[in-house]
Amino acid sequence: MKLDRYSCLETVRRLDDYLDRELSIAEQREVERHLETCDRCLGRFRFEAGVLDELKTKLRRVRTPETLASRLRKALRTESE
Amino acid sequence: MSNPSRPDDRMPIASADGAAALSPTTDRLTDTEFEVLLMEHLEPSYRLALRLTGSSEDAEDLVQEAALRAFRFRQSFQKGTSFKSWFYRIVVNQFYTNRRRKGDTATTSLDSLTDATDIFLFARSAEAGLLRPDSDPSANVVSRMAEGDVARALAALPDEFRAVATLYFMEDMSYKEIAEILDVPIGTVRSRLHRARHMLQKQLWKVAEELGIVPNEPGAGSADA
Repeated sequence: MKLDRYSCLETVRRLDDYLDRELSIAEQREVERHLETCDRCLGRFRFEAGVLDELKTKLRRVRTPETLASRLRKALRTESE
Repeated sequence: MSNPSRPDDRMPIASADGAAALSPTTDRLTDTEFEVLLMEHLEPSYRLALRLTGSSEDAEDLVQEAALRAFRFRQSFQKGTSFKSWFYRIVVNQFYTNRRRKGDTATTSLDSLTDATDIFLFARSAEAGLLRPDSDPSANVVSRMAEGDVARALAALPDEFRAVATLYFMEDMSYKEIAEILDVPIGTVRSRLHRARHMLQKQLWKVAEELGIVPNEPGAGSADA
């Protein structure tokens, strides 16, 4: 299916889905065609991708308490008795 | 930008949410198998619980409650399906149950967060003169915030938006996987996640203002009700 070229608004509307790899291949291609020629949108997309990476990195940085595994094993043993 | 399509290698989730509606299957986990799988998924499950509850003590309790619930209903888990998705679903449902039991609601009103526009952080950063054409896109406001500050912003989101955002940020899950865990349509995941991201950006800006990372402009960009 041939799509018309996206405007800036249509491209930005697809920003989240694009970054999450949830667009169809045709839509993804049209977004990339727009980004190739629009520095303003490219800047927005790069900014959002950077924010997303930072959020994922920081929110995933968690240390599991060393005692949790033994606590769970004990609870499971008690439960199965 | 290059953005390869997501491979469709997801395992089906067992139809289990830790509730009485679970149906027994023929291919069941032994107690030992259950414990092995639980321990294999302990770290990501604790991460999820910590970001949902916002407290290490509550997160440990949540994981234990979910583990015991999963253990009681372990016969509903089908081998060959995703233990992670099955257990995450129990964790999230247990989180909702605990919140209802305690009478807790979101710490920040929904109305105060929903008027965030698309690309909120980008727009506010540009207004504050923090963006330059040659600037590194990774050097954004969030990069100057500590992990606890980011977690605090996430914790301010209403429960249903925090749940979808937490699942999304913790692991590279597809909308389909998140939908299966939350037992909602994919379209609901897409719209909730879209709103959650914008709410989070607004809340992040508020935290950045409080920390002095960005100029504090009373009445502009504030997430207060």
